Amino acid sequence: MSSSFLQISNVKKTFTTPEGGEVHALDDVSLDINSGEFFVMLGPSGCGKTTLLRSIAGLEYPDSGTITLDGQRIDDLPAYDRPVNTVFQSYALFPHMTVGENIAFGLEMEKIEKSEITRRVSDALDQVKLSGLENRKPTQLSGGQQQRVALARALAKKPKVLLLDEPLSALDLKLRRGMQIELKRLQQDTGITFVFVTHDQEEAMSMGDRIAVFKDGKIIQLDTPREIYRRPVNSFVADFIGETNLLDGTADNLGVKVAGGGFIARELIAPDCQVPAAGQVTIAIRPEDFEISTTTGAISGIVRDVIFTGDSVRVHVDLGATEVVATLPSYGERVPDRGATISLNPLPQSARTVAS
Amino acid sequence: MESKKRQRASYAAALAAVTALLLTACGSSSTGAANNGGGSAGAFPTSGTGEVHIYNWTDYIDPDQITAFTKETGIKVVLDTFDSNETALAKLQSGATGYDVVFPSDYMVKQMIELKLLQKIDVTTFPNGGGLKTTMQGVYWDPKREYSAPWMYGTTGIACNTKAEPKCANIKSWHDWFTVGLPKMDSLKDQTEVVSAALRATGVAAADLCTTDKSKYSAAADLLKGFKPAVIDSDSGIERVIAGTSNVRMAWNGSTHRMTEKVPSVEYIYPSEGLNLWADNMVVPVGAPDLDNAKIFINWMMDPKNAAAESNFTGYDNGIVGSDAFMNASMKSDPAVVVPADKMALISPTPACDQAARDLYTQVFTTWLGEQ
Amino acid sequence: MTVAQTEKAKTKLKIEGRPGQTSPWLASPTVIFLFAVIGIPLAITVIYSLLDRAKIGMGVVWTFNPKAYKDLFVIENLDGTTGLDTRYLKVMWNSFKYSGITTIVTIVLSIPIAMWIATRAESKRNILVAAVTLPFWISILIRTYGLRQIIDDNGPIGWIMHKVGDANYHIIYTPIATVIGLIYVFLPFMILPIYASAERFDFRYAEAAYDLGAKRWTVFRRIVIPAIRPGIYAGIALVFIPALGSFLQSDMLGGGKTNMIANVIALNFGQARNWPFGCALSVFLILITLLFVWIIRKLGARTGTEVKLI
Repeated sequence: MSSSFLQISNVKKTFTTPEGGEVHALDDVSLDINSGEFFVMLGPSGCGKTTLLRSIAGLEYPDSGTITLDGQRIDDLPAYDRPVNTVFQSYALFPHMTVGENIAFGLEMEKIEKSEITRRVSDALDQVKLSGLENRKPTQLSGGQQQRVALARALAKKPKVLLLDEPLSALDLKLRRGMQIELKRLQQDTGITFVFVTHDQEEAMSMGDRIAVFKDGKIIQLDTPREIYRRPVNSFVADFIGETNLLDGTADNLGVKVAGGGFIARELIAPDCQVPAAGQVTIAIRPEDFEISTTTGAISGIVRDVIFTGDSVRVHVDLGATEVVATLPSYGERVPDRGATISLNPLPQSARTVAS
Repeated sequence: MESKKRQRASYAAALAAVTALLLTACGSSSTGAANNGGGSAGAFPTSGTGEVHIYNWTDYIDPDQITAFTKETGIKVVLDTFDSNETALAKLQSGATGYDVVFPSDYMVKQMIELKLLQKIDVTTFPNGGGLKTTMQGVYWDPKREYSAPWMYGTTGIACNTKAEPKCANIKSWHDWFTVGLPKMDSLKDQTEVVSAALRATGVAAADLCTTDKSKYSAAADLLKGFKPAVIDSDSGIERVIAGTSNVRMAWNGSTHRMTEKVPSVEYIYPSEGLNLWADNMVVPVGAPDLDNAKIFINWMMDPKNAAAESNFTGYDNGIVGSDAFMNASMKSDPAVVVPADKMALISPTPACDQAARDLYTQVFTTWLGEQ
Repeated sequence: MTVAQTEKAKTKLKIEGRPGQTSPWLASPTVIFLFAVIGIPLAITVIYSLLDRAKIGMGVVWTFNPKAYKDLFVIENLDGTTGLDTRYLKVMWNSFKYSGITTIVTIVLSIPIAMWIATRAESKRNILVAAVTLPFWISILIRTYGLRQIIDDNGPIGWIMHKVGDANYHIIYTPIATVIGLIYVFLPFMILPIYASAERFDFRYAEAAYDLGAKRWTVFRRIVIPAIRPGIYAGIALVFIPALGSFLQSDMLGGGKTNMIANVIALNFGQARNWPFGCALSVFLILITLLFVWIIRKLGARTGTEVKLI
């Protein structure tokens, strides 16, 4: 496994807005993607992730920087000469062609023999479990089927890298979950490098080998899903990935004094976090890392809402200055009532200080 | 524009014809009404009220004269225009009333009389009715001038720019015209003029131009076969000759006069086989709203001074005795406008043929156009 | 709701139509108008073509005579023999040729301009579409006169051609001038429907094709063209059929020599005064046009594009 299969170095791209302003869609982005990796680019809309994907595809040309694939510079090649293919958010299936013709289109461009094309089209359809639908028109398919055809069309080309631009965003939740698993398996089976763009953090975490979190044209954090979840580099990542309670406080020798009441002792804070001896800090605690204290806890407040979600109960606690959410098991007798005053403790070493 | 008249734009003509087609379909029974519109009884009116509606060729009446007429008689003039005799006929035949004075050409007057579309007005009894030139009396289309008063008349010959085309001198006849094969030659797009010239060129006498002898037409068609002018149209001759894009052109004498004003080297050729004389007329259609005003208008226009003013405007001679006294010197001295005495014998009326002969004209003309 | 009530509601719906649907009777004035201005003239044309013409003057007399149709194809030669009359077939062929060239050239010219307009910002698009329709504000007669001045040997183009050394420049009063005139007049009728298709074209399809390895020309040929095909077919209908019946251009720009079928029809209503024959020629033209429409529909069906010309 080459450590720099797809290498993005110092890529910059600036757009001019109609009002005359400038938007740095990509602000000096560098990134190495490994061969055979399922790589996810995650971020809110307008963060630059799609621009980077399109730059890899050749549908967008960066202002500066280089993109190298398998040792070959590709940023100056036209899209049709790059050994990468894209699954578009809108699928972009050619409406005047049948499913079979759609998949064959890319192969015809390679001047492949007709019989070989037929074979590869049917293989690709097998891969996405749509065998026998060659002669349908895209409009005769469901959204999920169209998605699979788009996937088959790109995979049939046997690209070195498959680029997926929010391919599941148009599907309903259940279908999306199913496709997430299927995509992941497909990636593992084919061994093709996937670069997957999404704004859905849950999707990113469930699929990605690694995730790059984008914000304002920059990569904020690049790591495995577990690391990103457990060790967000700042409050943005902490809040964007999963759910987090952010508490402002003042540090002292023993811990952090939470604004509006409460105290987080040092032993509750993860050991890799540097807590200063004094000054303002932000503490991040995941809702599932809280437990109800029978005695005096780190923080306490009044229960505002108790929401039953099946596998757990979400408890909204009003601390006076702010509100926190704690996710508790839905079983047992320790589910508090609305209006009750309760104390909460973070699990040991689960609280983190984060840069704001 | 070719002239103050005869802009035979066939597209407009066809549109008008189709319009007329629709109108006739709804039934026209206004023809055939009594055609003796009184008038000779009592004193001839000299002034009136209201309006006179005239239907004339495009750009064929002096606007200043209209103003003068209204000033003298108190009658307002409402002008509508047509671009071919056929258009005018189609309109009248479709039962259109509302015109007091119409300006058809010779053969068309004859047809209109036959179709009982015109009122008898006995022009010779008008105060100015005694002033008709002898050539405009006893005309075949209205021998006693019962229905029509003369307007402008002219001939169809050949205009040639002697400076630009040295071979002008070689064109002495229609036969020369059809065979000389010069560049920058233009023909009128008029089946009567083109085919009658070809018939004359192949030896058909003027009196025999309405023959139905097919062999005569065959000879004419053979002659036309080799005749390929640069342009065949009737509406842009003057400007083309002035611009130098055309040097030799089948042309009306009035047009030629106007070419000469700009390009003095343009000469009017009287072909030796003879040439057609056409004469336009003023007539009163059946159903005219105001017969008195129509007669006042016609009589006023037959005044030598007024007739001369119209000639100065149109570039054509008129049928009124004594009008030359008021005509521009350049007109009077132009052999294109005033027919020289030695050419007088060459002139004969434009043939007014029956349907059988017309069909042969059409056949020859259509074939010739198709060969271009 | 009882059954009776339901039935009542259904009947009401039938009478009043669905919400937003107006009463069918509101269309009746238009239907009557269209019948009056299309149906009746068409009927008259067909009827007149089967009558005798008037002995004198214009028009027809009401006796049945199908001779006009015979005259379309049979010529009574001046030497007394009869034979196949190819004159009108030739003229018809000319009309087809000029209209066909016009159609092809306008398609070629329209696609790039339509695509270009369709890819502008929306505010600019509206201005550009208005600019395409600008010629409609001026009478076609005046425009054709103008064109005649422009392409004349002594006009601006002639001046330029002579300057650059082409002393033989001569277009006016040739078939080329006729075709140029037709192209000039009918170009907007091709641009607008193609633009309407191109505007709806989703450029993500082009990106997808590009991504799949198609080069610019292939993208255009295999993705763009099929997408704008309905516009092209509509454009063909709007250009070819009226061009087939046009006569102004051949009259004014062709020097009266490049006869199209409409010029011959005009001649028969005018100088030749043969209305039945003029009508027969018109019917002939209508039939040929219908045949063409039918062929276009068949072609459309074969390529999977539904074409609605009539």
